Amino acid sequence: MKFAAALPSQRQAVAQVAGVLVLIAAAVVFPLVFTNPTVTNFAVITLIFVCVASAWNLFSGFSGYLSLGHAVFYGTGAYFLVVAAKDWNVSGVAVFWLLPLAGLVAAIVAVPLGLIALRVRRHTFVVITIAFFFIAQLAASNLKVTGGSSGLLPPVPNFAPATFNDPFYYLALVMAVLTVAVAWQVRRSRFGLQLRAIRDDEDRAAGLGVRTMPVKLAALVLSAFITGMAGGLWVFFIGEAFPQFVFDPLFDLAVVFMAFFGGLGTLAGPVLGALVLEPAQLYLNLQGGNGYESEILFGALFLVVILFLPRGVIPTGGEYLRAYRARLDRAKEGSSKSEMAADSAGTSVKGGVS
Amino acid sequence: MRSLSHRARFMALGATVALGAALVAACSSSNGSSSANKSPIVIGTSLSLTGDFSADGQAFKRGYELWASDVNAKGGLLGRKVKLEILNDNSSPTQVDTNYTDLITVKHVDLTFGPFSSLLTAPAAQVAHRYGYAFVEGAGGSGLVFSEKLPNVFDVALPVVNSLDPFINWMKSLPASQRPATAAYPSADDPFASPQVAKTQATLESLGIKTVYSKVFPEEVPDYLPNANLVASKKPDMVVLGSTDVPTVSSFMHAFQQQHFNPKIFIATAGPDQGGAFVSAVGAGNANGMMVPNAWFPGFQKASSMKMVNEYVQKYGGSASDVNADVAEAYSVGEVVAQAVDHNKSLSNSKIISYLHSGVTLDSVEGPVMFNALGENVKAIAFVFQWQNGQYVQVLPTNAQGSKSIVVPKPNWSG
Amino acid sequence: MANQIAQAIAAGILGGGVYALMAAGLTLIFGVLDIINVAQGIFVVLGAYLSYVLSVHLHIDLFVGLLITVPAMFIIGIVIYWLFIRPLRGAERTSMTLLACFAVALIIEGILYREFGSNYVSLKAWYTTSSVHLFGFYLPVIYLLGFGLAVVAIGLIYLMLYRTKFGRAVRATMQNQTAARLVGIDVNRVAALTFGVGTAVTAIGGMVFGAISGGFTPNSGYDLISRLLAIVILAGMGSIGGALAAAVFMTTAEAVVDIWQPTWSVAVFYLAMVIILTVRPQGIFGRAGVRAQ
Repeated sequence: MKFAAALPSQRQAVAQVAGVLVLIAAAVVFPLVFTNPTVTNFAVITLIFVCVASAWNLFSGFSGYLSLGHAVFYGTGAYFLVVAAKDWNVSGVAVFWLLPLAGLVAAIVAVPLGLIALRVRRHTFVVITIAFFFIAQLAASNLKVTGGSSGLLPPVPNFAPATFNDPFYYLALVMAVLTVAVAWQVRRSRFGLQLRAIRDDEDRAAGLGVRTMPVKLAALVLSAFITGMAGGLWVFFIGEAFPQFVFDPLFDLAVVFMAFFGGLGTLAGPVLGALVLEPAQLYLNLQGGNGYESEILFGALFLVVILFLPRGVIPTGGEYLRAYRARLDRAKEGSSKSEMAADSAGTSVKGGVS
Repeated sequence: MRSLSHRARFMALGATVALGAALVAACSSSNGSSSANKSPIVIGTSLSLTGDFSADGQAFKRGYELWASDVNAKGGLLGRKVKLEILNDNSSPTQVDTNYTDLITVKHVDLTFGPFSSLLTAPAAQVAHRYGYAFVEGAGGSGLVFSEKLPNVFDVALPVVNSLDPFINWMKSLPASQRPATAAYPSADDPFASPQVAKTQATLESLGIKTVYSKVFPEEVPDYLPNANLVASKKPDMVVLGSTDVPTVSSFMHAFQQQHFNPKIFIATAGPDQGGAFVSAVGAGNANGMMVPNAWFPGFQKASSMKMVNEYVQKYGGSASDVNADVAEAYSVGEVVAQAVDHNKSLSNSKIISYLHSGVTLDSVEGPVMFNALGENVKAIAFVFQWQNGQYVQVLPTNAQGSKSIVVPKPNWSG
Repeated sequence: MANQIAQAIAAGILGGGVYALMAAGLTLIFGVLDIINVAQGIFVVLGAYLSYVLSVHLHIDLFVGLLITVPAMFIIGIVIYWLFIRPLRGAERTSMTLLACFAVALIIEGILYREFGSNYVSLKAWYTTSSVHLFGFYLPVIYLLGFGLAVVAIGLIYLMLYRTKFGRAVRATMQNQTAARLVGIDVNRVAALTFGVGTAVTAIGGMVFGAISGGFTPNSGYDLISRLLAIVILAGMGSIGGALAAAVFMTTAEAVVDIWQPTWSVAVFYLAMVIILTVRPQGIFGRAGVRAQ
């Protein structure tokens, strides 16, 4: 009986792994197939957002603390990269080695921020993150080291024009895959369980012995590290750092929307959200016309998702599939019940999964 | 249960990736333009039609479009009609990069024009440079753009830091007894405004004009009252305000009026040059005496400029004074590119670049254009204008053709 | 120097009144409905544009026009609440209402762009540039009127909350929604009406904002919302009078810091908020433990 029950799930596991490998293989050959720089441009930006959305979800989705200030980490990583590249005279491909450092700096910044912000509950937390965001934007505008309101320029890499985007693409792809892998690991781990306990009922979790502050802080730091790296990659790709662009309030809202659209707290949700929404936004703007149409459209789409797909596409999609499957199973059960009745009563097991 | 939602998830993921790839590939297969001889020349540009820079972005759009229709009325470029491909970057650098990449690599435009604002020109120019396109623009004049040292960038507009030179020279020309004794230099924190004000302050201080107030304030504040009050409380003879838009100037002027403070000389780096928008914001009487530097104005006595102004009014309504200097800058971009193309008898971008760097002097509605090695227009004229009894009048340089005399001291506020 | 500080304080107090007027709706909605209305910035701008249309196209005085814009925005508020916010429920309600408000803000901004374009407009009247001489300072008339309106509006809201049956229902809902329902209060109706009231007050704030701003566009909402949120959180959820106090404190501090370092003065807002919140998470005037989450 155990063997019979195990086989289908083993098959599931193999199918899942195979599916992931196919996806990754497809992603790897993507720029070789679609050599058009606009396509790879879309892809780089989209993958960066996959990274950021997953990292954000890793903290906010799992812990339930909605952060609207992740741009702080993004921007810290970005500015660090530009300043470090300038000061240490790094250019070309070598700049990529600065990325983990950028992430590290963002992670370090997350510690005091987290210690202050994580002491309060949900609502207040959101607003504190917004406050931190504006403080960061102010600091970038006023400090000499960040070039103030005149901004800074990162070094321009000398990649060949035809394949200029490709190094960025592959790096973004690696980062995205690693981020999702990290999120997956976190979810499977005890750490992830603690986070979810905090999300469901923090007081109860604390009562059960979860050390809430270190757990929340660890999640924030991890999330900040990834977001900082993504910010560094972005600023290197775009080629300039200005306070109002690096610290952009719409950035945070876009990330939240992506995670939400796909499914807050799920694994594939933010990935799906980024894959769908970021190219859509870039593409809509490419269609010319007046910008306000895309704004109204986006707002409307947002509302539709919130009202009709409140748990996000993936959980809702999963629910529909499950309901469909359950109906199928019930139909099957109906016909085989009559068969069973013809047999002797007793030991038939219909398999546990439904 | 879990395996089902896993599978559902991967299916959804795979479907989305496929969909996304198909979507993107679909828009990549859209056809570009000219290979046939009579097909139109496509010129691509990204403008800020929404977002922070939208007011200027829209003005630029009109300037480019006016130029295009004028060129086509005369038979086009190289015998072919000109078509503009304008994308909206929503004042975002991510979008501006994507836009120019798309214009160049997907839509295969023949030529590119610049976007609005140095902040967007800096990254966009890199994209154009990567693909060898000439990048003539009219709104990227801050040090940041030129620090990139790109050979393909050409800014037709006056380098920002020199905008107040005529004003500085006028101060120098006054005998010491006629110069203002004290001055205040409030400036918005912006790469357009603060360099000019800083340069003015440094020079005027060396002339002996005492600085009683010099502070930089944040660009976007809902209300400027505290800062304006501080300036008023010092009662300087002269105020040099670093502003980037009408609301800033208007707020300062309102506050000064409320404090019953009237400086003898009041010049703002931007705002009073916005024609009707400025007057309706501050009131016709209050505008009297306000000065502003600019490289162009609707009353500029140049045939091509006046023709452009007339066409603008016919097409978009309003009056001549509503024509924003942005329109003239955009128009000049078109003219410069057209002259290069006509001279080379070819659309080759590299030829355009070398021609524009050859030290040749070209013509535009804003006056002469000649680029130095960095791409700055060293022959751009700087003027200073003053509102006198409802008229926008050229007053500096004093010996330039068409300059009228300055009204000093500034008349009092009159609502 | 002392004179400058005194003048800064005067300007700050008056400015605080204007901000309180803009924030009153936000804190009311926050306190009663647990909703962070990030669309508040664009609501202010919407109120300003409504006043603009009445003033420029129908030549109605700004204050008289309030008789039209306030009810109009009351209705708009109720409609928005009923259509987009009331249907939201579930565990993620906080995030969802936040996102819904943001989506509404995007749509309103897009519509305003469509109707008015991106040019700067401003509200003007004979009193927008005049001032009176009081206590040795020139105080702008429009700010005095704004401050006065703020006090009146807040007073009226207090009257409503503490002297009317509806107000009692609102307070009950604020304390405990379930209990309120149990005693027969139609929580949905209370919520919708409260949202409407909050939006209606914002119409007044919008008019004053438009008159003092020197020029606004649909984009002007973003700078506002950050400050308004800071004021509301600093004051504490639901404390309307506290919003006035917090707003006055913030703007005064900013005006004083302006004397030395204008570029950092804005930071005062946020730093003050962060500091107070680390010490007292419910805000200065909020009640501890009102909301568990």
